[in-house]
Amino acid sequence: MSLFSIGVSGLNAAQNALATTGNNITNVYTPGYNRELTLLGEGRGGSGGVQVQDIQRQFNQYVAGQLNAATSKSSALNTYQGQISQIDSLLADRDAGLAPLMQNFFSSLEDLAGAPSDPAARQGMIGTADTLSAQFRSFDGYLEDLQGGVNGLIRDEITQINNATEELAYLNREIALARARSGEAPNSLLNQRDHLVHEMSERLDLRLQIQDGKSYNVSLPNGQPLVAGTQAFTLEAVAAPDDPERTVVGYRDAAGNRVILAEDVIQGGTLGGIMTFRAESLDRVQNQLGQMAVSLAEAFNVQHGKGIDLNGDAGGDMFGLGQPQAYRHDDNASAAYLEPAFGTYSDPVGGPGDLTNLAATGYDVVYDGADYVVTRQDTGETLDPADVDLTGGVLSFGGLEITVQNGPPGAGDRFNVQPLKGAAGGMDNLIADTSKIAAGEEDFSGDNRNALALQELQDKPVVGGGATLNQAYGALVSDVGNRTNIVKVNAEAQQGLTDQLSAVQQSESGVNLDEEAANLMRYQQYYMANAKVIETGTTIIDTLLNLRS
Amino acid sequence: MRISTQTLFQQNVNSLNRQQGAFLEIGQQIASGKRVSKPSDDPQAASRAVGVDQAKAVTQQYMDARVSARNALSQSESVLNSASDGITRAKTLLLQASSDTLGDVDRNSVASELKGLYESLLGQANSTDGNGRYLFGGYRDNAPPFAKDAGGQVQYEGDTRNREQQIDASRKMPVTDSGADIFQSVHASADLLAKADGGNAGNVTYGSPLTTDLSDPAYGEAHRIVFSDDGAGGFDYEIFDAGGASVQTGAYSEGLRIEVAGMAVELEGTPADGDELTLGRATEMEPDLFRTLENAIAVLEEPADTPAKKAALRNTLNTGLRELDNAQDNILTVRASVGARLNELEVVDSVAGNRMLNYEQTLSDLVDLDYVEAAADYSLRQVGLQAAQKAFVDIQGISLFDLM
Repeated sequence: MSLFSIGVSGLNAAQNALATTGNNITNVYTPGYNRELTLLGEGRGGSGGVQVQDIQRQFNQYVAGQLNAATSKSSALNTYQGQISQIDSLLADRDAGLAPLMQNFFSSLEDLAGAPSDPAARQGMIGTADTLSAQFRSFDGYLEDLQGGVNGLIRDEITQINNATEELAYLNREIALARARSGEAPNSLLNQRDHLVHEMSERLDLRLQIQDGKSYNVSLPNGQPLVAGTQAFTLEAVAAPDDPERTVVGYRDAAGNRVILAEDVIQGGTLGGIMTFRAESLDRVQNQLGQMAVSLAEAFNVQHGKGIDLNGDAGGDMFGLGQPQAYRHDDNASAAYLEPAFGTYSDPVGGPGDLTNLAATGYDVVYDGADYVVTRQDTGETLDPADVDLTGGVLSFGGLEITVQNGPPGAGDRFNVQPLKGAAGGMDNLIADTSKIAAGEEDFSGDNRNALALQELQDKPVVGGGATLNQAYGALVSDVGNRTNIVKVNAEAQQGLTDQLSAVQQSESGVNLDEEAANLMRYQQYYMANAKVIETGTTIIDTLLNLRS
Repeated sequence: MRISTQTLFQQNVNSLNRQQGAFLEIGQQIASGKRVSKPSDDPQAASRAVGVDQAKAVTQQYMDARVSARNALSQSESVLNSASDGITRAKTLLLQASSDTLGDVDRNSVASELKGLYESLLGQANSTDGNGRYLFGGYRDNAPPFAKDAGGQVQYEGDTRNREQQIDASRKMPVTDSGADIFQSVHASADLLAKADGGNAGNVTYGSPLTTDLSDPAYGEAHRIVFSDDGAGGFDYEIFDAGGASVQTGAYSEGLRIEVAGMAVELEGTPADGDELTLGRATEMEPDLFRTLENAIAVLEEPADTPAKKAALRNTLNTGLRELDNAQDNILTVRASVGARLNELEVVDSVAGNRMLNYEQTLSDLVDLDYVEAAADYSLRQVGLQAAQKAFVDIQGISLFDLM
C-alpha cells in the first residue's frame, strides 16, 4: 500500500476523531449524552494504515442503574419534603395558629365567669368562638387543598409516565430496526433510551430488565410490566373504589382489565413520594386536626347542654362539625351502607362509642358474614372485638356510632370509614344570640357555675381520653416537626449519595472540556501529520515522475 | 478520577446553593429573633413551647379572674365598712332612746334618725358593681336583693349562693357574699336572746337571758313561752319547744325565773291572756338587721302611754341592742373574710408573677435566638459564601481553550 493511501487512511481517522471530539464538545451540557471515544486500529490486510474501529459510547449499565435507583429515592424524598414543609410552615406562626385562638376562646370563658350575664362578655365569647371555628376551617381547608394537590399531582405524574412508557416502547422498536438495518444502533438512540429510563426513575421506582442485551423491559416494583419490548402498558389515575375523593393508581393489564394498585406499591420517585406523604403525613395531620375539632366541639356542647341560658332553657350546641363519612366499596355484593355519627361524652365513660375512644385515624370495616372486623388505617391494627359493639343494627367503635342501613351486608363486604376528614372543615359556631349562652346551672343572672365548668375543659383530657386540647396540639406540632425533620435529613443524605453516584457516572460518561481541548489539539496535529504524509507521498511520486522528463 | 465539566459546574453550583441557603437561614433568624420559627427547626422545643404558651395563657386567665375578683371584693369591703358604721350609730340611738328621761317627742326624733339609717343601710344592701349587678344578690344579681313588701317590711329576695371565680389552678374563690349571710345572719357563737311578741297586751318584761346548762340537748333552740288566764285572777304559762311540743307548764308570778332547756330568764310585770315570749339562741331567732330596725322604729314612733306599750318599748329596745351587736359582729366577720380573700389574691398574684417570669424565660430559652452565637455564625456563613463564590469564578474561569 502506498504512502499516499496510508496518509489518506490517517486523514480519515483524524477527521473521525475530530468529529467525535467536536460532538463531545457540543454535547457537553446535553442531558443524557454519553461521551464518545474514537477507537483506532491498524489497517487490515498487512497493507498498513489506520482504521476507525468504533465510535464507542462510554456508558456503564451498572452505574446507571445505581444512579437511577438513587435518583428515584431522592426524588421521592424531595417531593415529600416539599409537601410536608407546607404543613410545617402552616404550624409555624405561634401567634396566629390554633393554640392561641383556643387560648383566647378559653380566656373569653374566664371573662364570662367573671360577669356571667354581661352582654359584652357574652359577645366576646361568641366572637372568639367564631374566630376559633374559622381557624379550624381554614386549617382544614389548607390540608384539603393539599389533598387536592396530591390528587392533581398523581394525575400529572401518571400522564407523564404513560408518555414515557410509550416513548420507551417506540425507542425499543427504533433501536431494533436500526440494528436490523445496519447491525448497530446509533448512539444517539441508545442515549435517548437510557435518559428516558433515568427520567422515569425520577417519577417512580421501576425495575429494568434488558432482554437479550437489546430491548429494555420496564416493570413496576411488584413485577407488573410497564414496557415489554415494543408494548407499553398504561397507568390510570382513578378514584379509590372506597373513597371517591381519593385519587389512586390503576393499572391496565394486557387483557384490558383495570387493577387498583395498593397505595404502597410505588414508593420511589415523585409519584411514590407524594403517595407516601399522603398516607404517612397528610392523612394523619388531617385526622389529628379533626380529632381536636371533634373533641373540643363535642366536649363543649355536652357541658354547655348541662347549663341554663338566659331564657331559662338548657344550653344548645355551641359548635357544629363536619359529619363523619363512610364509603362502601365498589365491589360490595350487597347494597348495605354505613351511616356514621359521633358518639358523645358520657359520665361515667360509656362503651366503644364514647368519644374518649375517638382516635385520629380512618377505619377499614369488613363484614365477614357474622362479625364486623375493624382495622385502623394508621397502624394497621385490628380492633379487639371487645372494643367493637353491635347492638340493634348500630355498630360502635372508636367514639363512633354507625347505623348499618340495608343490612346485613354480604360476607366480605368492605367499607371505608373516615370519621375525621371533614370534621374540622365543617366546624361552625352555632350561637349568635348572646342570651343563648348557658353560663349558669340555674336560671339566675349571676350564676357562673357552668361558665367555670366550661373554662375547666381546657385542662380536661378530652382528646382521645388522654390529652388536653393543648397537649394534642403540642403533639401535632411535635409530630409534624419531627417528620419534616426526618424527611429533610433523609433527603439530604440521599441527595449526597445521588450526587456522588452522579459524579461517578459522569466521570465515566461525562465530557471534560479540557480533555476535549487537548484532544482537539492532538487530533488537529494528527490531521496535519497525515496531510504531511500525503504531501510526502505526492512529493515522492512527483520526484519519480520528474526523473523521466 | 475524571471529572466531567458538568460535574465541576454542578458541584460548584451545589456548594453555592448550600452556602447561600445557610447564610439566608441565619439571616432570617437574626431578622426574626427566633431560633425556632417552624416546628421542624426544633420539634421538641416547638412542642414544649406550645405547652409553655398554654401555661402562660392560663396563668393570664387566672390573673384576669383575680382582677375582677379583687374588684368585687373591694366593693363589698367598702360597703360592709359603711354598714358597720351605720350599725354603730343605730346602737347609740337605741341606747339614747332607752333612757327613761326621754319623752315621746324625743323618741320620735330618734325614730326619724333611725329611719334615715335604715334607708341608707337598705341602699347599701342593694349596692351594685360597676356593671349594675347587685353585689349581695347571690346568683340573682339582676334585681335588688332586698325589697319592701306590701307591709313595708324589707324581705330578702336574692339568692343565698355565692359566685365563685377560678383565681388559680386549684382555687375557686367566692367573690360575692349573699345579703342573707350579711344582713340576716349572726355568727354561731352569738348569745341567748329573748323576744316579746309584737301583739302582747300585757306588760311582761324580761331581763337578760342566762345559760344554765350548755349540755342540755335542746339548749339554744327557740322556745315559746305562752301565758294564759288561769280563771282565778292569775296566769299560767306553758313552754313549747322548737317542734311545737309542750315541755313545761307552771303558774306565773311576778319575778318568776323560768328555766328551760339549759336557759333561764327572769320575768316581771303582768301578762295578758295569749301573750308570748320567745327564748333561744340568736341564731335560732330569725336574725334580720332590717327587722330589728323596723321593730325599733315602730315602738319609738308609738307613744308609750300604756304599761303594755312601755313594756313593748323596753323589751324591743333591749333585744334590739343585742341584735344590733350581733349584726355588727356578723358584718365584721364577713368583712374579715373578705379581707382574708383580698390578701390571698395578693399572695397568689405575687406567686403568679414569678411563675409568669419563669414561663417567659423558658419560652425564650426554647425558641429565641442567642444573638451572640448567631452573629458569629452569620460572619462565618458570609465568609463561606464568599469563598464559594470565589471558587466558582476561579474554576469556571480556567479553561484550556483560553490558552489555545
